[in-house]
Amino acid sequence: MRFDTVIIGGGLSGLVAGIDLVRKGQKCLIVSSGQSALHFFSGSFELCNKENDPMKAIASLDACHPYSKLGAERVEALAARVKPFFAELGLNFKGDASANHWRMTPLGVMKRAWLTLDEYATFESETEMPWKKVSVLNIDGFLDFHTSYIAAALEAKGVEVAVASLSAPQFDKLRESPTEMRSTNISKTIIGEFVDALAEQINGKTDGSDAVLMPAVAGLTGTAEVERLKELVKVPFHFLPTLPPSTPGIRIQMMLKKYFQQQGGVYMLGDSVTEGRFEDGKLKSIKTLNNEDTEFEADNFILATGSFFSKGIVASQNGVAEPVFGLDVDADSDRTNWYQRNMFDAQPYMTFGVATDEEFRAKKDGRPVVNLYVVGSVLSGFNAIKDGCGAGVSILTSLNAADQIMNL
Amino acid sequence: MSKEYDVIIVGGGATGAGTARDCAMRGLKTLLLERHDLSAGATGRNHGLLHSGARYAVTDQESAEECIRENMILRKVARHCVEETDGLFITLPEDDLGFQSTFVDACRRAGINAEAIDPKEAIRLEPSVNKNLIGAVKVPDGAVDPFRLTMANVLDARLHGAEVLTYHEVTAVVKEGDRVVGVEVYDVHTKEKKTLRSRLVINAGGIWGHHIAELAGATVNMFPAKGALLIFGHRVNNLVINRCRKPADADILVPGDTICLIGTTSSRLPYDQIDDMKVTADEVDLLLREGEKLAPELAYTRILRAYAGVRPLVAADNDPSGRSISRGIVCLDHETRDGIPGFITITGGKLMTYRLMAEWATDLACKKLGVDKPCQTADIPLPGSDITEEDRYASGSDLGGKAARGRHGSRSVEIKHKDRYDESLVCECEGVSIAEVNYAIDTLDAKNITNLRRRTRLGMGTCQGELCACRAAGLLSKANGCARKSVEDLATFMNERWKGMFPVSWGDTLSEAQFTSWIYEGVCGLDAFDKKEE
Repeated sequence: MRFDTVIIGGGLSGLVAGIDLVRKGQKCLIVSSGQSALHFFSGSFELCNKENDPMKAIASLDACHPYSKLGAERVEALAARVKPFFAELGLNFKGDASANHWRMTPLGVMKRAWLTLDEYATFESETEMPWKKVSVLNIDGFLDFHTSYIAAALEAKGVEVAVASLSAPQFDKLRESPTEMRSTNISKTIIGEFVDALAEQINGKTDGSDAVLMPAVAGLTGTAEVERLKELVKVPFHFLPTLPPSTPGIRIQMMLKKYFQQQGGVYMLGDSVTEGRFEDGKLKSIKTLNNEDTEFEADNFILATGSFFSKGIVASQNGVAEPVFGLDVDADSDRTNWYQRNMFDAQPYMTFGVATDEEFRAKKDGRPVVNLYVVGSVLSGFNAIKDGCGAGVSILTSLNAADQIMNL
Repeated sequence: MSKEYDVIIVGGGATGAGTARDCAMRGLKTLLLERHDLSAGATGRNHGLLHSGARYAVTDQESAEECIRENMILRKVARHCVEETDGLFITLPEDDLGFQSTFVDACRRAGINAEAIDPKEAIRLEPSVNKNLIGAVKVPDGAVDPFRLTMANVLDARLHGAEVLTYHEVTAVVKEGDRVVGVEVYDVHTKEKKTLRSRLVINAGGIWGHHIAELAGATVNMFPAKGALLIFGHRVNNLVINRCRKPADADILVPGDTICLIGTTSSRLPYDQIDDMKVTADEVDLLLREGEKLAPELAYTRILRAYAGVRPLVAADNDPSGRSISRGIVCLDHETRDGIPGFITITGGKLMTYRLMAEWATDLACKKLGVDKPCQTADIPLPGSDITEEDRYASGSDLGGKAARGRHGSRSVEIKHKDRYDESLVCECEGVSIAEVNYAIDTLDAKNITNLRRRTRLGMGTCQGELCACRAAGLLSKANGCARKSVEDLATFMNERWKGMFPVSWGDTLSEAQFTSWIYEGVCGLDAFDKKEE
């Protein structure tokens, strides 16, 4: 079977690349094992959160960082395309690359962000809050969001906080199984007429507040329920992130996938690549676990398999390897050098990934595979947490690879 | 004027807790002091093996006899802490099969019911065992949960009137002339110091007892021996598997609850490192290499964490070099030994013999205080123990309730489901409900997430506290009313968890570690609450 481009990995990176290519008329296949970092989405994408000005922060990154390889000008140009890219899918974000804004984490910590999904709370300042009084609500018995952390953080910034809980027979039903009280399951109950009833209950608990904050537990399949809540709740209504799973993150993943398919892309879920056929420094075709008799041929390939978490690279007792094609990796061979003893120090293993040339083409046995582009967190040379750049690297390197393939 | 106790016991491990129970049962006015949490030292850092004594039968008959006696007693008095699994001593092709008969004879002399069985029968009993075995001996080994055992002793000590203070560190031993009359303690939480008086002080500090003895002006010649272990992500074996040879490194694989453990290594450790033990890559490699010989499946089983404990080995008084080190029980009367009346040290020994150690120490204390009451701890069951095996493992739809019965035995009736939320699970791997967490906070002195882990197994399962740690922190924050404190506690807990994970972080363990960092640091910003070590 023949495609213009085959993409290995169907998370944020793979889908962004795939969508950009199908929009430009390419015939694309995505092979996805099902893992996606969007499942634990915080509500925000980060470009580089080390400083208020992301472009200034990017200028001081190491030479091996994917942004440094792209160059500042290219980063800026690619970043400018991202908001419209998602808006066309009906995903509206706040923010832009000229200055970071702030988001509040489930623990009440303020972190810098680049783009934040519309329904989440954002802040212009780390310390000055836009409200005098807010209501912080939670679903009764939902343990993956704690009002006490949010209340303590807001009170420390001089905001008066009213904490209240929401209860309903719909939530009680979830409780019949002790493991069901999770954000995605809750969101499955917030549909239809219950949305109106819930809004009414919220209105009863927001007396005198300038805004209401609650965990992101609605809108699993679309934005209709969230829009309806916003419309009915009498004060401004914002989500805060929860512990995983992330309901809006799963929605983004589903919307990206659906859009890709609507545009003619083929998405093979729950499959994984078993081998590749290389010829003359090029990857000619791949085979997959579920279609072992089929050769998927393409002019170009994109590797978007993620880091250790999704097994884009794997560590053994004695080293780190890229498991699909045996590509070269940038990693220390001695495992005692992989870690820092304090969990919160920069962990060296975080920067491990597939080695690429200046054009982000994968290296195998020291030589670039000229039609195999590497994107997202399987790339080496950056620490997504410490540089605050995980989503930015994923999206920008994917758009960049799509451009390279289209010779743009 | 503060009240005077008959006896202050220093050290909240199994020995200290057992001594507190024994003293209280004999009517002494008792106080137990622990500088950290119960079971925070060597008690919680070993195999959790209910030794049959077979391991020591050839080399140390006395220890073997002590073990099998205590083994039979614990099955009776601490039923809810024990799993009666039995154990195998296997002979592999590279071992000397001739050792087997020596071993069986020595076991029988010590009163251990050891039975050589056909290797095929061994494979039938324990399908995970190395199929290349050429010999097998079945012995009454088992598993014991040291956290639960210590907690049960503390609960019963309290029921008999003892007071127990955790997070109280002894900073000085108070003397009048040569006589010990009490201790000065530092309250870790309130940061206050106070003096507590007693007629006797019993030093049950394990390896840390070396320091307590110094505070009293006595020298106990201790040799810290580090033992490293690995915990695997599921229960590979149902019988304890040992090597039938003289005791060596990494030759015991013990099942316990949902997991299994391989250990241990043995190496001398400088005394100044006993609070900061690191498991090295070489130790991990050795444990894996040897462990795979017992149960080859370990090669493909996810490793959850590595940890190490310190054995409190004591050198004989006339041997300052430490060459003739004993693993036996050491009960020192410092009045006759060093001219320091009012001070007793109980040390050496092992988890298996904690009750006997407590009995010896309490016998000596009673003698000094002129109390004539016999020890009853071998006969009277611990709280929670009076549950039948059927009831303990009865199936039921309430996942949390079922798991709690296994953990707390008959005490699980105390876990009250006050409202409809209480059955919700906090920890899904181990089936810990909100009600059980609240029971541990209210009744079992759980003050932080690590305490909860020791009381309930929360965070001990496959995901190692991935999400339940944050849920538990929220419940603690509700209970103690301080959000900041509970998030700082969460940061400490996650960091401690990492210290156990990184020595074995490859494969799925590294995937999990990366996920954890993305969630807790990336999504949540937990790094803002990290208390940097000096």
